Amino acid sequence: MASSLGNSPLLPSPLAVGRSLVHAARDGTLGRAIGTSVLRLSFGYGVSLVAGVALGVGLARSLAAKQAFGPLVLGLSSVPSICWLPLAILWFGLSETAIQVVVILGAMLPIAVATEGAVRQVNPLVVRAARTMGARGPRLLFSVVVPAAFPGIVSGAKLGWTFALRSLMAGELLFVSGGLGQLLETGRDIGDTTLVLAVIVSIVALGRASEWLLFARLDREIARRWGTEAA
Amino acid sequence: MFAFAKAADSTEVPLAEGASRSPRAGAAISLDAVAFSFDTGASIEAHLEVPAGQLVCLVGPSGSGKSTILNLVAGLLTPTRGRVLENGAPITAPGPERAMVFQDAALFPWLTLRKNIEYPLEVAGVSRAERSDRSEALLRLVHLHRFAEAFPHQLSGGMRQRGAIARALATDPAVLLMDEPFAALDAQTREILQAEVERIFLETKKTILFVTHNVREAVRLADRVVLMGTRPGRILRTLAIPLPRPRAVGDEHVTALANEIAAEIRTEVEKIAKEEADDAWVVPGAPVRVDPRRNLGGGI
Repeated sequence: MASSLGNSPLLPSPLAVGRSLVHAARDGTLGRAIGTSVLRLSFGYGVSLVAGVALGVGLARSLAAKQAFGPLVLGLSSVPSICWLPLAILWFGLSETAIQVVVILGAMLPIAVATEGAVRQVNPLVVRAARTMGARGPRLLFSVVVPAAFPGIVSGAKLGWTFALRSLMAGELLFVSGGLGQLLETGRDIGDTTLVLAVIVSIVALGRASEWLLFARLDREIARRWGTEAA
Repeated sequence: MFAFAKAADSTEVPLAEGASRSPRAGAAISLDAVAFSFDTGASIEAHLEVPAGQLVCLVGPSGSGKSTILNLVAGLLTPTRGRVLENGAPITAPGPERAMVFQDAALFPWLTLRKNIEYPLEVAGVSRAERSDRSEALLRLVHLHRFAEAFPHQLSGGMRQRGAIARALATDPAVLLMDEPFAALDAQTREILQAEVERIFLETKKTILFVTHNVREAVRLADRVVLMGTRPGRILRTLAIPLPRPRAVGDEHVTALANEIAAEIRTEVEKIAKEEADDAWVVPGAPVRVDPRRNLGGGI
């Protein structure tokens, strides 16, 4: 059985996958797909980050916001983001907007939940100390509470990044959209497992590269300041 | 290592160097028939007059309201009844003229020591140039200028606490509120920092309210010791400490007075212990049986 699977086109050798990767890179399909996906991610993740952090800080600092939106945010954050796609398509058609809605809903809510937790766990003594120095209102929030919660907010941002990537791939899989998700679907359509695996390798590479570009420096800086272990 | 032997030099560091105004002298603080009740049902009552430029230590068992009094004076808490006054004016909110030092230094971990000291100045809207002059002078005052660019986690507990004192002095407050600032430090560091506080007090003439569990520390530092009791938290009595300054670590007068006050506090602590334990509580050491054949003499 192993040998039959070994020769099967269903489980191609790493070499075949490599060849397919080079081929897709040469003819530009891979580059275009990565470009499209990265562009979407940058926008969707950017919006999620700003909105998620703002929502999280609001939930942690305002009792009214917590009572109004807390259960909703917690509840909705447990919905797999791809479940929003049918609704997004009904609302916005098979469009860029529909995919962005899925990415933003997928990433924003986990970021908000993590940020809320991080802000709640800020050492109250640090806030009290700042208040005795006369800091209050927005200054207290932006010069003390948010910096103090920063390590936790970065953890949330990382989590949000992986959620954004997952949501995007799922969204792109489901309709013709350009992007890596669609290239996966193309591979399935033409029965080319080497292409499917080549795209998966590309997604892994994209994930690692973006993590390194976006978060490695932040992690080092946090470790330097807080004296924690660098990840 | 801390260069405290050269304290004579450092007394020449002008505290208000770089500040446009002259150093602010201490303010009088009064708690006018103040009461404060917690949600938990615990409450404190206090009437206290602290003259300008005095160092007053609050001592007493946990739950006697020492920290609450400090928080009331800081403006972090509002009294349920009565008024808290600074130079006769009611205190309604925290402000830079009353600075606080906490048991845990509470330095901001994301800022260097220098930036930590400059933070209250930034809040007060002091210019960048003046901030840096002032932080430089304060870093020298507490002998930490070599560690200006270090983050709090890179400093020892004693250094962090000296940094916190420098930060508290940054806005040149009239009142310094110290909430068990040395409780987490080892005995040696503690004694060094007590000397530091006394030196800063003598130099700046600020009013200092100092909370501690440690009676020796209170007697060593205070012009007056306020002895507090529990249930409700209240002031039992106030003792003047008329010993000359600066006071030495092992001063016998300090020790004698401290022992006297400690005995009084013990009675108070035993009262709580009896209430918290059940009827079976026995004061430790009370029913000791003495064997007359092993009399070692009365003087021991």
